[in-house]
Amino acid sequence: MSLVQVMFYVLAAVVVGSAFFVASTKNLVRSIFMFFITLLGLAGLYVLCLADFVAVTQIVIYVGGVLVLILFAFMLSGKENLELLQKQDNKFISLGKLPALLLAGLFFIVMVNVLGKADVDNLQWVQMTKNFMPFPKANDSTVENIGVNLMTFYLLPFESISILLMMALIGAAHLARKERGTI
Amino acid sequence: MVGFNNLINSITSKFIKFAAKANGLNFYTTYFLIAIGLFVFVAVFTLFGVYAERKLSAFIQDRLGPTEVGKYGMFQTLADIMKLIQKELIIPAAADKVLFLMAPLIIFVAVYLGFAALPWAPELVPAKINIGLYYILAIISIETLGILMAGWGSNNKYSILGAMRSAAQIISYEIPAGFALISVVMIAQTMDLQLISAQQGILSPEKTKFLGFLDVSNTGGILSWNIFRAPHLIIAFVIYFIASLAESNRAPFDIPEAESELVAGFHTEFTGLQFALVFLAEYAMMFLVSMVGVILFLGAWNTPLPNIGSVALATWTTGTAWGIFWIVLKTFGLIAVQMWIRWTLPRLRVDQLMNLCWKVLTPLAFLCMLISGIWRLWLM
Repeated sequence: MSLVQVMFYVLAAVVVGSAFFVASTKNLVRSIFMFFITLLGLAGLYVLCLADFVAVTQIVIYVGGVLVLILFAFMLSGKENLELLQKQDNKFISLGKLPALLLAGLFFIVMVNVLGKADVDNLQWVQMTKNFMPFPKANDSTVENIGVNLMTFYLLPFESISILLMMALIGAAHLARKERGTI
Repeated sequence: MVGFNNLINSITSKFIKFAAKANGLNFYTTYFLIAIGLFVFVAVFTLFGVYAERKLSAFIQDRLGPTEVGKYGMFQTLADIMKLIQKELIIPAAADKVLFLMAPLIIFVAVYLGFAALPWAPELVPAKINIGLYYILAIISIETLGILMAGWGSNNKYSILGAMRSAAQIISYEIPAGFALISVVMIAQTMDLQLISAQQGILSPEKTKFLGFLDVSNTGGILSWNIFRAPHLIIAFVIYFIASLAESNRAPFDIPEAESELVAGFHTEFTGLQFALVFLAEYAMMFLVSMVGVILFLGAWNTPLPNIGSVALATWTTGTAWGIFWIVLKTFGLIAVQMWIRWTLPRLRVDQLMNLCWKVLTPLAFLCMLISGIWRLWLM
């Protein structure tokens, strides 16, 4: 096995293992910190795919932004609420969990079906990438490419996302604002 | 001086050749050696940084500072660290043990990883990454997570208050700092720190203009530094410097560890080696943010002396050894200013802190970014 393969399997094991811990543990705060390991492992996988910009963006947005926000919510909500959440009954299978189990099972069947029928090796875009010479090298900069594509092929999605973010910002500012006369 | 330069250059090139010749395991050994070397540097810097800070604060407050251990008290911090290593590791009974033990490690490693992308001299950089600046920004943001972990894991109300204040402050000040950095990137057109450094001196691959009109490609020196290539970057530099003080939790932005109200903030419960790690992280962070400031605004490893006719000061003082000398000198200068500010200015209140960030620094940073775009299009 080459070094790249070894690294891929190590990183994949880290991602899957930590994700499993996140989903299964009862200690919610620890599961959030474990989620950080998952995100870091994913960033490592992106680097392995030569998508360094995506990897770093992943860390900036998810670790620096989303995770910290979730933690804030936890720390503001207090210990009593958390303990209440952690005191669920321990049985894995119970009548209350039937819909969730059913949904998860069906979704699993769909996923397996998709994986079986996809024929990943002969997909059009995979073939296109395979035949695309010159291959990107480890030292190539991907930033220019992303920038040019965002401003040409993907301009409309880019602009609509920025409008969406603008709406969220205005909404947040409106919610946080003081009512007139109640200072 | 030129002879000395050549000597250093030949030594480094021999070292690189040796590293290249030794394939396989030895190749990776070099990486380990570099990582260990950086760690040793950070540790030694912290020891003498603490000493320098104590002496400087003593000077500012008209005291003597440490005088007993060694000549002028030089070995005071060495004695301190010996004491810290011997101390007992106390874990509070109510603490979340895993998080409590992990937190100082994460705080330190986040800062230490940032050092990987910092260039020290022409051709001398631990990891040459295309998006070095963005990487450093991302890695530093992990520190917030470590601080929150410390606050939650300690299970102490002072710790958690300190952690929340610290995280709120770091997240807010990342915005003006980020936009100040973007205005540099727009001028430089790259996020590779080594390229940004090279652009600010005589080794520049493109034409360098002083204030946008005077061609100084072959003159170099202080005239080709980023803050003089585009003078609005002076404002961006001040914004970045203020924000970097807040990001390393130093006075006047030290409400996360305000002694008079929060004991010691998020590191209230840490003892012994763990406390030492948190301290190491703080000083490493000071060095890191100062060095990033130097690289982006103050000419990185380039000399401040320009070529004047036949007196080619810039050409003589550019090279590997000179590069390390200049960048360390400039960084130490910025750190000295950080310490000076800490012992002179009073602490900001929370509302003043947020006002400064959102109503002053952020709009100014946006303005800098706008000017950068216009400058790049019309004047460069």
